[in-house]
Amino acid sequence: MNKFEEINIGDTLGPLELFVSKDQCRAYARIIGMGEGAGRFTDDEAAKKEGLPGMIIPGNMSLGLLSKLVTDWIGSSNAWLSRMNTTYRVPVQPDRTITIHGFITNKNPADRTAEIDVWMENEEAERLVTGTATVEFRK
Amino acid sequence: MAVNYDPALINKVFEVTEPVEVKAEKIKRYCAALGETNPIYTDEVAAKEGPYGGIVAPPSFAVTFRNGRHFFENVPRFGRRGFDAGKDVEFVSPIRPGDQVTLSSHVKEIYEKTGRTGTMVFVVIRSTLKNQKDEVLAHIDHRFMNRT
Repeated sequence: MNKFEEINIGDTLGPLELFVSKDQCRAYARIIGMGEGAGRFTDDEAAKKEGLPGMIIPGNMSLGLLSKLVTDWIGSSNAWLSRMNTTYRVPVQPDRTITIHGFITNKNPADRTAEIDVWMENEEAERLVTGTATVEFRK
Repeated sequence: MAVNYDPALINKVFEVTEPVEVKAEKIKRYCAALGETNPIYTDEVAAKEGPYGGIVAPPSFAVTFRNGRHFFENVPRFGRRGFDAGKDVEFVSPIRPGDQVTLSSHVKEIYEKTGRTGTMVFVVIRSTLKNQKDEVLAHIDHRFMNRT
């Protein structure tokens, strides 16, 4: 568990290295009802017809993975991920290794919050999805 | 050049969805798809001892609720087809199994931005998630980008 008093600007979260398979991507798409009508998340050929290089991971799934980096860091403490703001920069393709990073950029003792830059990189260190998270360290 | 739109669009709720019940089984499948293993989301016994006194969904579960049938037809369009540029989610309260969740959506703002690649119009739609007790669970700002 991370205590507010013990965290510092510049502390890192992760990196979390992941291999998201096509099946995992399809399972996610099905859960949120994107299984039908949005072939780009489930089928290479359908994605290519839309001008994409192949299947891509839903933006919401990237948001979920970036959030997971932060909630893993929070663990089972009562700190609360209160905000996650993401920007989808480059389509994320499954069946590749991606790495998720975090970095504490600000710490505000008045409301016991920390701001964390989070981002997802591919193997070429290209930033595919970037974001900012806020964590409240509740007493 | 300022972007033209009807100011009456802003803040007017255009859709409220029917309640959807959060099933423990769906939280489980969601966790499996994300590789989530934190016991406060997955293990009833451990979650009882945790900060929320029972299983809660991972915060990002908030984005799994489907927008209403008329959501996309109410997103104002400018220029070529818009695409999802990102989301800003404020997680207000934990989502629990048994919650009956509704989404209400309105246009929050419309603004123009000029970058290296030209002029873009951003449309921000805010969806607010509430449970059956009228408690706010989350606010989701969907950012759609249109190239003019």
